[in-house]
Amino acid sequence: MDELELLKKDWNKDTDKYPKLTYNEIYKMILKKSSSIVKWIFIISVLEFIFWTALSLSLKDSESMKRFEQYNAEAVFIPLMVIGYIVLAYFFYLFFKNYKTISATDSTKVLMENILKTRKTVKYYVAFNLVYLVASTVVVLFLELDRDQLVINKAQLAAADGEILKFYAVFIIATVLVLAAAIGILLLFYWLIYGILLKRLNQNYKELKKLEV
Amino acid sequence: MNKELEHSFVELLEAHQNIIHKVCRLYTNNYDAHNDLFQEITIQLWRAYPKFRGDAKFSTWMYRVGLNTAITLYRKSKRTINTQDFEGVAFKMTADTYDDTEEQQLKILYKAVHQLNDIEKALIFLYLEDKDYREISETMGISEVNARVKMNRIKTKLKTILNP
Repeated sequence: MDELELLKKDWNKDTDKYPKLTYNEIYKMILKKSSSIVKWIFIISVLEFIFWTALSLSLKDSESMKRFEQYNAEAVFIPLMVIGYIVLAYFFYLFFKNYKTISATDSTKVLMENILKTRKTVKYYVAFNLVYLVASTVVVLFLELDRDQLVINKAQLAAADGEILKFYAVFIIATVLVLAAAIGILLLFYWLIYGILLKRLNQNYKELKKLEV
Repeated sequence: MNKELEHSFVELLEAHQNIIHKVCRLYTNNYDAHNDLFQEITIQLWRAYPKFRGDAKFSTWMYRVGLNTAITLYRKSKRTINTQDFEGVAFKMTADTYDDTEEQQLKILYKAVHQLNDIEKALIFLYLEDKDYREISETMGISEVNARVKMNRIKTKLKTILNP
């Protein structure tokens, strides 16, 4: 192609047109901080781990948690908590392992795959947390209906009025709505943050993958 | 960080800085963005430098880190809009030796290259830098055959942009 040859000739012709940075200017640059997406993914991921851990810790000391203590349901709560921490440790380890493999000296494709893999670890962790949240809510809901004296009293009152079904329905629907709203907000948040952060990476990765078909 | 390492790195980079400028030229289209990307590439190179082994050429190694930064790692909200005419902003074409038509043609060509997507730009860049398909495929992480096929498609695409 003639045009490309012409371009190539011009491209390599005179290199004086580029700015010439001095030793000191370059030296100053290496002291500055990177603003790469890997750094952002790292920061956001660590914040996510902190968020979920803080959430579980704050719930543990909350008023409602103290109420749960009267349920005598340690057999349920303790395994749930232990599972939560084991999974957290596992994902955190996986996240660091993947993060460490990210290197700018890999080929473009491998670099992209490693970044996406790191990101995916956190995604799975969040997915686990959402499932965990739903599962715990179901367990708590069941325990409340079964063992909470306050709830039992109300249920008995409702039963006396012949409205026991309505009582359960309201109770369950309210819980589902609150849970759905919380999950909805979280998902929207993730979708926004990662959507913006990874848009170009995903596009470029798709473009590279397309070459293999 | 080791002073000696810093010194050798900065010296090498000073000598080879044109490679980074060329990457920036392709991926940005204004002066600020150019400097911004230049800085990020420099930081990424410096970070990777302790693992740099003399068995690879410094310039070859720079191509890889430079392109990876431009395509994947670099992120700035003031990132460029493709439609702007870069050539007019940051660099003056040294076109004294060209006749008008050639100069005109080159202008259109550079503009067309700027309209390519990030991956296509990387391939064109390596092609302009006279890299063979083996090196192109290794840098991008695709097979040589695919690199060839893609290169041909880019040529066709450029033709279409040039002669719509």
